[in-house]
Amino acid sequence: MRFLYIIFLLFFLLNLTSVKGEEQDRINNITKNLRCLICQGQSVYDSDSEFANSIKILVENKIEEGLSERQIYNYFKKKYGDWILYDPGINKNTYILWLLPLLIFLIGGAIIYKKLIKKI
Amino acid sequence: MIYSLVGYYSLIIGLIIGLSLFYFSYKNFKNSNILDTKILSFTFLQLFFVVISFLCLIFSFVISDFSNETVFNNSHTTKPLFYKISGTWGNHEGSLLLWLLVLTLFVFLFLVRTKNQPVKYKILTLVFQQIIIVGFFLFLIKTSNPFNYIFPIPTEGLGLNPILQDPALAIHPPVLYLGYVGSSIIFSSVLAATSLKIISTSWASHIKKWILISWIFLTLGILLGSIWAYYELGWGGFWFWDPVENVSLMPWLALTTLLHCILVLEKKSILTSWVIILSIATFTLSMCGTFLVRSGILNSVHTFANDPERGLFILVFLFILIFLSILIFFFFHKDNDRKSHSFFWLSKETSILINNWFMMYFLSVVLIGTVYPIFLDVISSQKISVGPPFYHKLIIPFLIPFLLMMAIGPKFKWIKSQLEDKIYLISFLIISLLLAFLILKNFNQNILINTILISSALYLFFITLRDFFVKKYKNISQNIAHFGFSLLILSILFNNIFASEIITNLKVGETFENSKTKIVFESVDQKKEKNYNAIIANFSISNLNGEEDRFSPELRIYNQPVIATSEADIKTTLMSDKFIVINLVQNQDFFNVRYQVKPFMLWIWLSVILISFGGIVSFLQKRS
Repeated sequence: MRFLYIIFLLFFLLNLTSVKGEEQDRINNITKNLRCLICQGQSVYDSDSEFANSIKILVENKIEEGLSERQIYNYFKKKYGDWILYDPGINKNTYILWLLPLLIFLIGGAIIYKKLIKKI
Repeated sequence: MIYSLVGYYSLIIGLIIGLSLFYFSYKNFKNSNILDTKILSFTFLQLFFVVISFLCLIFSFVISDFSNETVFNNSHTTKPLFYKISGTWGNHEGSLLLWLLVLTLFVFLFLVRTKNQPVKYKILTLVFQQIIIVGFFLFLIKTSNPFNYIFPIPTEGLGLNPILQDPALAIHPPVLYLGYVGSSIIFSSVLAATSLKIISTSWASHIKKWILISWIFLTLGILLGSIWAYYELGWGGFWFWDPVENVSLMPWLALTTLLHCILVLEKKSILTSWVIILSIATFTLSMCGTFLVRSGILNSVHTFANDPERGLFILVFLFILIFLSILIFFFFHKDNDRKSHSFFWLSKETSILINNWFMMYFLSVVLIGTVYPIFLDVISSQKISVGPPFYHKLIIPFLIPFLLMMAIGPKFKWIKSQLEDKIYLISFLIISLLLAFLILKNFNQNILINTILISSALYLFFITLRDFFVKKYKNISQNIAHFGFSLLILSILFNNIFASEIITNLKVGETFENSKTKIVFESVDQKKEKNYNAIIANFSISNLNGEEDRFSPELRIYNQPVIATSEADIKTTLMSDKFIVINLVQNQDFFNVRYQVKPFMLWIWLSVILISFGGIVSFLQKRS
């Protein structure tokens, strides 16, 4: 139980690793998590296409408007769909995506545990 | 012209030899005291003809024979010779021919090098390998013939994608394929051994060498791809969790798991079912990777051609192979673990099981993250992206116990063990924690997860480092690899945490200055090469200490095909890389300049080399 608790805590902390400080850092951080829709497997941050550049400016504007990171992601999600976000988030489409690996981990643990317990 | 002809008929002959080998194997299998020399010579002949065919394709590229469709599509007369040659495997048809070459090479080496194993086993391995080989011959000849004619003969080719014109990428496919396809021999061998019920400790130590070969090449192949991505794709990252990268990581994870698991089988003759499953999984994952990349389901630079027929062929072939292996597994394999063995909870077996547990988890994360979006798209036509945040969230927390186990696990003895040197283990843990805390505190970066992660990596680092000097632990190869892994994790972490970056727009003659760095955009030159024109921008960048570096990143416009690329200029030193790349902003007279300082970059590459060096040491070690 404690193990699970720790893992939960770590997830929580990972979600908190947003960077404060300079605006450029924030823009980079956000654009790294946005897909450049016209490129092949590049983030907006990585790309220098026109599309990516206009998104970068848009992000900058949104930050200046005082939107939080989450609000900005939601804005892009509404405008372009889930495809633009690199973080799939937890929703009804992605329950399996997030939980299946963890389930496999638990099952694996159970198998090993059983193998050990049987002999003691 | 003539080369295409020779190459094509060599393939046909190779296919016929493959088919005839089934017959010889069948005859030899019935009265099998010695291996029929015909089998050996025919296997060699097959290899020979595939080599001929491959050489023909290379020659066609070298002389720019545009009557050959593959050459026409992927080459150009102005390309430097080196890239004409590497262009041979920089496309779908050629890379499959290379795949076939490696398949035939491995089975030949296997027959020659395998001694002290039953003849029936050797024959059966050959048969299973020939099934794969014949499948690929058919695939190549039917859907992806590298020697198709074009008439009338074009005078000029279409050229090779410029980002593939790079030394690291020229050798990346062959090295990666040796690893990828090398796993086929493990697959064939495990099926043969299962059918004959000869899975034993001696079989394990025999196949371990082959697992090591695949593993070493796969590791280095992934490394080369990563290095290429770092300096060629132009934004200073080295791993993007791109589906195509994941596809190469999955067989690697499976192979690494197998490598650990085979040790248990070698020593204690248990976990046989698990070894069989893993061996099958490794090759299946390699094939799945080929399917995903070649069918065009995944979009990336690796997707040379999108042809549904090809995807379908691989898919059907893959199902046949999986079906065959499941059939063999259930019909022939009897699990005899039960009677013989028990696990004591504190033992090397248990710690290897825990390794397998975590590795399988990592594998499932990567696998599910890669294929889930495809399934979701098919089922509900909703497009989602699964990118770095997903992998980081699911993998990083699990890395912590994994690293700690990597440090402690190898210290256990077989069967039943006590944990020795408790004082050392605990004091190192405390030192690592303090050190990590101090490092991060100094840089105002004390995020808890980073502290814990760095502590556990440091822990592994210290423990393995100490073990180099303690005579008691003789397993030097394992220690090198684990030490390399700790270095890898540390370098990646420091690289991430302490990287700094400046993005700005500059005109020629302008200067950018902040509290730490001064960037002067001095001048612009032009350069004309055979295959591209370039704009060279000259920068001088100085830091607080007054150290000055000169950089000249380029913008290249390749002529065939017309594609603009940015060439980064990188200054590599032992402790950090300085990386600058420029881009033209459309309709503007300034350049977009990106300057990054990336600490410990070199160490990421070195540590991966160290990891594979551990494999090489293990490969060279005499059987104990």
